[in-house]
Amino acid sequence: MRKISLLIFSMLFVVTLVLSGCSSSSSGSQSSSKNEIVFWNPFTGPDGENMKQIVEAYNKTNPEFKVKNVSMVEADMYTKIPTVVNSGKGIPNLTIVHAERIKQFVDNGMLTKFDDLLADYPELKAENYVPAGWNIGEIDGSRYSLPLDVHSFVMYYNKDLLEKYAPNALDDNVITFDEIREAGEKSKKDKIAGIGITWTRPIFLSIYNQLGGDITSDGETPTLETPEAKEALQLLKGLVDDKITNKDGEDPGQLFKSGKAIFYPEGIWMQNSVKEAKNLNWGLTSFPQVSPDKIVNWTSSHQFVMFNDENRSEENTKGIMAFLDFVRENSLPWAKAGQNPAALETLENPEYKELPQAFLIENPEMQQTLKIFDYKYNGFVVEEVDKLVGDAIFGKLDIDKGLKAAQKAVEDKIKTNNKK
Amino acid sequence: MINTGVNKEFNMSAGIEKNPSKKSFKLSPYLYIGPHLILFTIFFLFPTLYGIYISFTNWDLIGAPEFVGFANYQEILFNQDSTFYDQLRTGLGNTFKFVLFTVPACIIVPLLLAAGLNAKPKGLKFFQALFYMPTLFSVSAVMIIFSMLFSVSFGPINHYLSVDTNWLATQPYSWIALVTVTVWWTIGANMIIYQAALNGISKDLYEAASIDGANSFQRFFRITLPSIRAQILYTVVITTISQFNVYGQPLMLTKGGPTSSTTVLLMYIQENAFGTGISIAGIGAAMAVILGLCIMVVSAIQFIFLRQRD
Amino acid sequence: MKKTGISKIVAFIFLLLMAFIWIVPVLYTSITSFKSEADIQTNAFTILPINWVIGNYQDVLFDNTSAPVAKWFMNSLIISVSQTILVLVIVSLAAYAYSRMKFKGRDAIFVFLMATMMFPAVVNLIPLYNIVDKLGWVNNYLAAIVPGAAGVFNIFLVRQFMKGIPMDFDESARVDGASDFQIFLKLILPLIKPVLTVVALFTFTASWNDFLWPSIVFNDVEKMPITPGLQLLQGMYALDVAHALTGALVAIVPTFILYLFTQKYFMESLSLSSGVKG
Repeated sequence: MRKISLLIFSMLFVVTLVLSGCSSSSSGSQSSSKNEIVFWNPFTGPDGENMKQIVEAYNKTNPEFKVKNVSMVEADMYTKIPTVVNSGKGIPNLTIVHAERIKQFVDNGMLTKFDDLLADYPELKAENYVPAGWNIGEIDGSRYSLPLDVHSFVMYYNKDLLEKYAPNALDDNVITFDEIREAGEKSKKDKIAGIGITWTRPIFLSIYNQLGGDITSDGETPTLETPEAKEALQLLKGLVDDKITNKDGEDPGQLFKSGKAIFYPEGIWMQNSVKEAKNLNWGLTSFPQVSPDKIVNWTSSHQFVMFNDENRSEENTKGIMAFLDFVRENSLPWAKAGQNPAALETLENPEYKELPQAFLIENPEMQQTLKIFDYKYNGFVVEEVDKLVGDAIFGKLDIDKGLKAAQKAVEDKIKTNNKK
Repeated sequence: MINTGVNKEFNMSAGIEKNPSKKSFKLSPYLYIGPHLILFTIFFLFPTLYGIYISFTNWDLIGAPEFVGFANYQEILFNQDSTFYDQLRTGLGNTFKFVLFTVPACIIVPLLLAAGLNAKPKGLKFFQALFYMPTLFSVSAVMIIFSMLFSVSFGPINHYLSVDTNWLATQPYSWIALVTVTVWWTIGANMIIYQAALNGISKDLYEAASIDGANSFQRFFRITLPSIRAQILYTVVITTISQFNVYGQPLMLTKGGPTSSTTVLLMYIQENAFGTGISIAGIGAAMAVILGLCIMVVSAIQFIFLRQRD
Repeated sequence: MKKTGISKIVAFIFLLLMAFIWIVPVLYTSITSFKSEADIQTNAFTILPINWVIGNYQDVLFDNTSAPVAKWFMNSLIISVSQTILVLVIVSLAAYAYSRMKFKGRDAIFVFLMATMMFPAVVNLIPLYNIVDKLGWVNNYLAAIVPGAAGVFNIFLVRQFMKGIPMDFDESARVDGASDFQIFLKLILPLIKPVLTVVALFTFTASWNDFLWPSIVFNDVEKMPITPGLQLLQGMYALDVAHALTGALVAIVPTFILYLFTQKYFMESLSLSSGVKG
């Protein structure tokens, strides 16, 4: 037995040595980047597949610079970016980042401007994109990013249950919290939740913004401890207290998919998981509103950026622009992933118009409802809001105290960050 | 069997070399520890020293770190108005609680299991494979499994207990859940170490004790425990260190809640250094150094305490 | 003889009770891997699946046409085997010196090593990456193999076991004229084989399951080990429980086989004291 194990081990060892020998020689040739655009993105799973389709379609057009698609887990990508930028080596030519992060990257002088590059591609212009997605990339008159998509947090509803408990709620194409409350009062007798409390941050921020609040007053100061924020939390807490929502700890997704909840606020990107529930007759509409006059749909956006790199060549950058122009015209696979492409070109496609999430950008009025919470210190706000909302609306944390602590925490983080 | 083999090899080796030079004796210890020391210096010491240096700076991971002296320590240790002061208190408090709740269980349970296995009962291989298996799962897999098990309305635990306990977002259930998961997931390693240690105890010792009339309870405390003391010291110290570094369980299972009652220090450190916001690596590093010092003090106490019995 | 019979029965009953607790999550995971995601999401809890499906396994194992799963598997094998061998050599040498040789600063160095390991390696990631980058190891297997061999805990473990071997052994060998290295190789190593097996198992498993560090040092999908690779196949937004649990079960197969293969080695009896007598 001993001899056999020794034999196996030594064989593995030899195999290992041989293989690592091969690998190191091949990695040598690999590091010299030829005509290639290294493209980092945080798209894994099915999203990653759809992005790969776009990249492969582009590479089939035989461009001078082929795109090399590198998908990573989101958290890893954001950890990796400062690491490579710091070392100055291995910086990707093109990267997808979330819209909310751009100001922070610009502040640190990490991004390369697109300004001069746009001249050769006249179609890469504001008129051809959804405004919410386009505007985010323009800071102090310079363009630092181009949008891939605008992805919104909206609301799914169970058509059968809607018919039963709130047959007229959708007549004006908007569902209000009053209508939800009314439906929920009726449905709770049948043990059916009115609305699921899903991802608390966009739920809170959407209501906060409908009530006239925002996470910053002037782009510098955070504004969380405000009467509007309190009102928003109280509205949600009221729904919880009156048992219009799911109970604390219940999975709202399971409730909705098993037909035990009427309304289910979620991102448009969750369609695939909702589709899996076979007997569910569902529809998609705007996020619920306090009043039908001002509609707000929390939105974020994936944006193309180029991190500063001393070794960036002019030709490579031109290749990038060609790719971005291609994406503008060929975003349909991305829409099929459940997202809304930022390029209006896709709007013309009949296949796209069939998709449930198309209603969000089908006309300029709806495009106006897309709200990206853009703030240099958005990340700090995110961290604190995530800790606050769930506990506050499920009655585990005093609303005033919670808001005060959140405001203070964001201020302290900003202060420490700016201490120079 | 093995023993005769060893003796043979002895004689063989004695035959090969008779005159080991005295001089090389002095140098040689460093040749044994050298390979490790070199790797350790490059891949652990330098990065750790750098991390400690960062705790004295203001750094966002991108520009150059700016030296600020003890400002970060002042902020987290003494500035009572500061959010970071609260974070350190809450985080360190919860971390200590976690260590206190889990370490005894993670020592005693595997020790009992190993003792049971050492009696070589029926189904030995099945049992030891089963108890070791959870250790092989990744943290995210374990947390998915248990969040399903503990699920309020769809989970088997509430189903069979006929209750609707919210295990993951109310106290004291959150702690119970965290401790259960941790014990289930992590005892495999300690169990194996104890098994290996128990196998090393000579049967003669037990037989002698049996003749003296000691019952199995007495034998466990008089012979078994003292014989594996060195391994117990190791497991106590290592288990404590790893539980101080708890991160995945509260992050994925309770999300630090309810109301930050299970937010451990490493979660705050991560949030500050690699959060969604701009990195405040200096504060995060200072918290890490404080955590490191706490671990050091606790380990030193354990070393002294477990050694005194020599 | 009677006594051992009774203790065997007591042990068996105790283990059986514990096994019940331990097996529930494992069974739950196994059974759930045969449920469809829609079944899990839309029906209240049932022990057995309403419809047994093997689709999860098909998806996890075969439905990633574009992902180089076989290549990832080989990468992991290369990395984990190499690291295990490296660790065994380095650790046994160092532990021998720290436990059985006398030299200046021995205990001081060891305490220093342990103390350094107490600091949580959070911000250390960036300097570590820079060092690996300077060595030219980014995208190279060495980046995943070598740094992991620098830890101290395994030395601590082996040292504790070596302490249990009476020093008389070494003395009598030395009297017979054996050199330090001969004592290490011919006397100590065979005796500590069980604990070295444990170290090998731990090292291989840790290396196989490591996720964050490999995903930082490998940009190239082709070079990636299997654990971070599989992470890429999981979706960004919707967590699919059925596939996640199936993936978890499939992922532990290699390390579980290694466990089954090694378990008899660390169960081997040492018979130290009889060795002294002989």
